[in-house]
Amino acid sequence: MYKLLTVKGMFGDEQHIIRNDGNGSYTSFPAQEDNPNYQAYLKWVAEGNTPEPAENT
Amino acid sequence: MPYGNINVDTVTTSTTGGILGAGDASTMKNRIINGAMVISQRNGTSTVTPANADVTLDRWGSNMYPNASKYTVAQSTTAPVGFNNSLLVTSSSAYSVGATDIYTQFQWIEGYNTADLGWGTVNAKTVTLSFWVRSSLTGTFGGVIFNADGTRNYPYTYTISSANTFEQKTITIAGDTTGTWLTTNGRGIGVVFGLGVGTTYSGTAGAWSGTPYYSATGATSVVGTSGATFYITGVQLEVGSSATGFEYRQYQQELALCQRYYYKMYNGSQYIRIGFGPANATTDALITVFMQTPMRATPTSVTQTGSLGLWAGATVYATTATAIIPNSSSPFTAVVDATVASGLTVGATYQLIGNSDATASIAFSAEL
Repeated sequence: MYKLLTVKGMFGDEQHIIRNDGNGSYTSFPAQEDNPNYQAYLKWVAEGNTPEPAENT
Repeated sequence: MPYGNINVDTVTTSTTGGILGAGDASTMKNRIINGAMVISQRNGTSTVTPANADVTLDRWGSNMYPNASKYTVAQSTTAPVGFNNSLLVTSSSAYSVGATDIYTQFQWIEGYNTADLGWGTVNAKTVTLSFWVRSSLTGTFGGVIFNADGTRNYPYTYTISSANTFEQKTITIAGDTTGTWLTTNGRGIGVVFGLGVGTTYSGTAGAWSGTPYYSATGATSVVGTSGATFYITGVQLEVGSSATGFEYRQYQQELALCQRYYYKMYNGSQYIRIGFGPANATTDALITVFMQTPMRATPTSVTQTGSLGLWAGATVYATTATAIIPNSSSPFTAVVDATVASGLTVGATYQLIGNSDATASIAFSAEL
């Protein structure tokens, strides 16, 4: 459901998460604690789930 | 020659039942956005099963807690006279809600759009919630009005008398003189329609409470009956002690209001143009996307549908991912990192486009 993503922002590598929404849609969001999507991701991880690793680092 | 002041709650027109707006509002009468359920940027007319907190029709969120897939949502064309759309909830099973279960539809109204109500002060204004509702079930239904942290809650009930028939309901609520009600770009007032809420989160209707509620005690559970339907439209929250006519808005006006919270770029062409920006690596380009409507805040996520690509006049490099760069973005512009497998020229400018895909779109969220 979730996959890690590292992108090259303006000031270096940034960690993001990609969520597969189904129907060919993917939502990505930065790994920032105040991000509501990231909070949901952390809850998902806390439930014992593991994201797919990043492809590009 | 002075004529003095006239204090009125409503002004009735010569048309039977026609009432002009109450309060001081000649515009922004209705604090609800997309109350006529016209805008559906995310899913169009498709039926979806929302996850907890997902937004389906623009501005309308879903509580689906704790169990998933208890109901579906769709933009429907079944509507009362004067409306063309409604939000349709269909129960997916006969589910008995537990004490702490929460199944609802809700809308958070931004604090800027409720600041004049004066809630949390002695000058709190009375408001009236009105809506058209239709269900395959009859009986007492419920909902709640609450603040951002759930410390002020006003459960309400209404009765659906006839199955499968639209009925207009009106709830008048004395403004809350206590509590904290946000008045900036955060969550101002939450308007909730219960679809099945457990006893822990169901309270006595018609009074303000400090206990967090999501519906009223004794309300009918829509998710309790497999296949049960619940349509709602014409939702309006306005100042005053009576409901006035629905504030219709031009389509573009309503769309722009919605785009403050969710901005989707889509035009159905195979090569939609999204934005430009330089490659900062052979695998990454930083694309600037200009919002036509300033968003509520810097977007917190980007959603890509279909295939996108980076193009500089010759080869289209298929993107493998898109991500928003928060420290370079704002409510006015989003900077999107578009990632490809390889081949970009560092420093060259690329255009993010649809990659021969008419379904391609990109969307930004700054939802409450």
